[in-house]
Amino acid sequence: MKQISGNSSRQQRISLKLASLAVALLGASALADKVVNIGYSGPLSGGAAFYGKDVQSGLDMAINEMNKAGGVTVKGEKVTFKLVALDDRYLPNETATNVKRLTSQGIDIIFVPHAGGILTVQPLTNRDPEFLLVAYSSEPKILESKNPLTFMLPPRYDNYLQPFVSTQMKAFGKKLGMVGTTSAYGKQWAEAITGEWTKQGGTVGTNNGVDYATTVDYSSAVTKALAEKPDVLFIGGPSQPTALVVKAAREQGFKGGFIVMDQAKFEQMDTIVPRAYLDGSVGVLPTKEFAGTQVFVAQYQRAYKKIPTSEAALNYMGMNVVAKAMELAGTTDDAQAIRAQLNAAAKALPQSKTVYKMLGVSAGGHADAEFIIASVKGGKYTKLRVNTVFK
Amino acid sequence: MSTFLQQLFNALALGGVYALVALGLTLVYGVMRVPNFAHGGLYMLGAYLSYAVLTGLGWGYVPALIISAIGVALLAAFMERVIFYPMRNAPHVHPMIAAIGVLFFLEAAVQLVWGPDFKQITEPVPGIVNVGGVIITWQRLLVIGASVVVMLGLNYFLKRTMTGATIEAMSQNREGARLVGVNTNRVGMMTFAISGALAAAAATLIAPIISVSPSMGEVMNLKVFAIIILGGMGSVPGAIVGAFLLALAEVFGGYYISLDFSDVIGFAMLVLVLALKPQGLFKRGT
Amino acid sequence: MLGNAGTKSAGAGRFKLGTWGWVAVFVLAALVPLFGPSGYLLDIGVNIMIYAMLAYGMNVLLGYTGQLPLAHAGFFGIGAYTVGILTLKAGWSFWLAWPAAVALCAVLGLLLGLVAFRTKGDAFSIFTLGVGVIIMLVINKWDALTGGNEGLNGINPPAGLEVLSKGVGLKLSAGFYYLALIALILTVLAVARARGSVFGRSLIAIRGGEDLARSAGIDVFTHKLRAMMLSTAIAGFAGGVYAVYVGFLGSASAGPAMTFTVLLYLLAGGLGTLAGPLIGPALLYTLTQSLKGLQDYQYIVFGPLLVLLIMFAPQGLAGLWMKAQARRELAAVTGKKGAERA
Repeated sequence: MKQISGNSSRQQRISLKLASLAVALLGASALADKVVNIGYSGPLSGGAAFYGKDVQSGLDMAINEMNKAGGVTVKGEKVTFKLVALDDRYLPNETATNVKRLTSQGIDIIFVPHAGGILTVQPLTNRDPEFLLVAYSSEPKILESKNPLTFMLPPRYDNYLQPFVSTQMKAFGKKLGMVGTTSAYGKQWAEAITGEWTKQGGTVGTNNGVDYATTVDYSSAVTKALAEKPDVLFIGGPSQPTALVVKAAREQGFKGGFIVMDQAKFEQMDTIVPRAYLDGSVGVLPTKEFAGTQVFVAQYQRAYKKIPTSEAALNYMGMNVVAKAMELAGTTDDAQAIRAQLNAAAKALPQSKTVYKMLGVSAGGHADAEFIIASVKGGKYTKLRVNTVFK
Repeated sequence: MSTFLQQLFNALALGGVYALVALGLTLVYGVMRVPNFAHGGLYMLGAYLSYAVLTGLGWGYVPALIISAIGVALLAAFMERVIFYPMRNAPHVHPMIAAIGVLFFLEAAVQLVWGPDFKQITEPVPGIVNVGGVIITWQRLLVIGASVVVMLGLNYFLKRTMTGATIEAMSQNREGARLVGVNTNRVGMMTFAISGALAAAAATLIAPIISVSPSMGEVMNLKVFAIIILGGMGSVPGAIVGAFLLALAEVFGGYYISLDFSDVIGFAMLVLVLALKPQGLFKRGT
Repeated sequence: MLGNAGTKSAGAGRFKLGTWGWVAVFVLAALVPLFGPSGYLLDIGVNIMIYAMLAYGMNVLLGYTGQLPLAHAGFFGIGAYTVGILTLKAGWSFWLAWPAAVALCAVLGLLLGLVAFRTKGDAFSIFTLGVGVIIMLVINKWDALTGGNEGLNGINPPAGLEVLSKGVGLKLSAGFYYLALIALILTVLAVARARGSVFGRSLIAIRGGEDLARSAGIDVFTHKLRAMMLSTAIAGFAGGVYAVYVGFLGSASAGPAMTFTVLLYLLAGGLGTLAGPLIGPALLYTLTQSLKGLQDYQYIVFGPLLVLLIMFAPQGLAGLWMKAQARRELAAVTGKKGAERA
């Protein structure tokens, strides 16, 4: 694979020579473009395809924007990007195969959006050849392994717990019912929210979590949870099924509040159920309500004809940060050097490129962005204060 | 008590949908001896066609249901002609693999046309009825009512019409049917068409309650296969009983034991029944 | 009956590359890592070999005995998780955990067979499909043992494999390649031996017709049970390699989708042949890899290809090759005759 990249750089050098000849002849300032491939392995078919495609849309958009602007400048050379996307159907072994394929093509930056795949390929990052793994998953184990070539995008969810719980307990009462999804992430959330709820003095009912991906009808799980007469329901999984859980609960006469896990997005849920059903929910503030995101939202909607989710927004951010880090590091293929510049790159970028307000990248490789949570009241979003910010 | 009734009602609505999907599968198996793994794909396509008619053409729910049923029926008949009829004498594993190929194709094609995102079909009659503490949504009532109507209609068709009687005769005894001069050639195509229409109708009925996505057929596929084996492959009453049994087991198993258990229970039941009664609940002539 | 698939390709049993052909194939395969191929190429090699082992296991039941088992990936999963759990949680060495996994799969296969062989044909297939789904769901729900949805992470490479490969100047990935290759060779030897024995011939007789086999004095039930045990043991054997190779286990690898993938590979290669289970995965896995470049169109192409393959080459590629060879022989014979006549 080294030969391939060697070849292409030889071609680059030749074309560079030709280009400088052209420059000399024409007196124009045209420089030959160097194209850097960015790898992506995610679920592009099957049940999780919507998720993989959302992630890809954010990457595509960032790359298209940079290319349209003429690319970024690395060591005086104009660099444009190309996304090489491979389907792994959410299966870790296929992620591993894809990653090996991508590194064989001389690709040094690879985005993976699911915990299983990330944990599988993490040990490969510093084997020959090295690559920077951009991880889009909140799984804490990703950071625990202290891998030096991992860049983790989503913010930690433990920041949400305290304000979610205190808001809802104050507003509705002390009994929590559980109807979250049973994905790995959903289970962690359920455990964390149970801990926080009891810590603040509430009681938690039986866990009625169901797999949002394989359940045909949620109403029986909801009926079971409501039989315990909870004041607040913990729900969440992908937005659409979550909205249907809300619907089932409201239709069965539930008047209390919802704690909505961050995977579900209000902006997608309210296209399925009336906004009134969401009244009394707490969750992540819709991307479009963030200050300074209007440009991103408008452009995204123009390109993809749908509301951007945080999947799209955070990966858009990730791609921009990586490109900026290449600029700062003066290299497009030295993963270590690029990783070292991520923090500076995150701080240097304007918010129009990062969507969320970025505070930097932690030493452990974790993007530190300010995430805002909100409660819904009367169809309006009210921002909530986050007390503990993870550093 | 009201929780029990609520769950019973949930189970009936679910069972109605399972029954419609399973009936088509069991008919096809009875007549063609094809374990049609593409059936879940037809069900999924039915939901998308209805979605397209509703949002694309802006027509009503009932026309959408009818158009989608006709569309899927035609496609199923076409599939039978082009793929399954030529393979009618091959070992069963061959058409099964071909059906999986069709399923792959349908899922990918739908994802290409409509995208991988969840789609939503709005309820034709929104709102709820409260009967003594049991909350009943109009959509679920509609599901139960429509599935009963469709099942009665199918029964009438199989028992009282010439074509229906032919299908039944053939599912009971293929060779015998041929000997008494039944045109077995056409019957297979008819059966496929009916199974497609049933799957599309079921999908359109349940779509407002669940989300429509390209992989919705995979989940349904395994469940309806469990149902028709449970009931005895090829048996019409078996499919209906199996469907409601599975729905009741899932809902009440989830309620009284554990929701984790509700996914497993259908298959556990299947394995148990087959271990005790290898022919399924409703034995039928082969 | 689903299970009758084998009868159609009964003639395929004769297809043999010949012992020297096999030696040549394996020697060539063993030379691959010495040319310094990319990690991707080696990875494809290891994946093909794991799938091939699975296909050999399935072939024992489907190809030789005429029974279609749809719980096959379940046993693959049990083998993989046994290795994962024993090495991670009980601190066993891979070299002990691997045979333990194989033994466990054989015993569980026996238990499954005792119940499952009460059913026949399609019912047997769907019964085992149900068992396969249950195995996957149990793996998925039993958080304390299997890690549930989070999966089992951090399974280490077998003790000594890295040292051994570095010692002879190779990378760890090449070490895994050789591990898989040796496992595959053992599998092929075991299957070839079983096929050539009285036991194997009895299985073929059962495939031809159980009543006939019974009247020839074959204990059908016991033979089916033994075939089942061999089949599940091989699946567990492959699972062990998979566990240490990938290092991460998720319940999906034990599910019906995996079983069907193996079934496709086996059918494409050729049922009931010794070469088919190797040819099928080699070609189809490479095909799916190259179709990945088509992005959204990969299954739009793959689905119809599958349909065409099963419609026009139901005996698989090994079958096609054999047919062509038979035609050549026929042509040679008739040609000779023609020459004589002239």
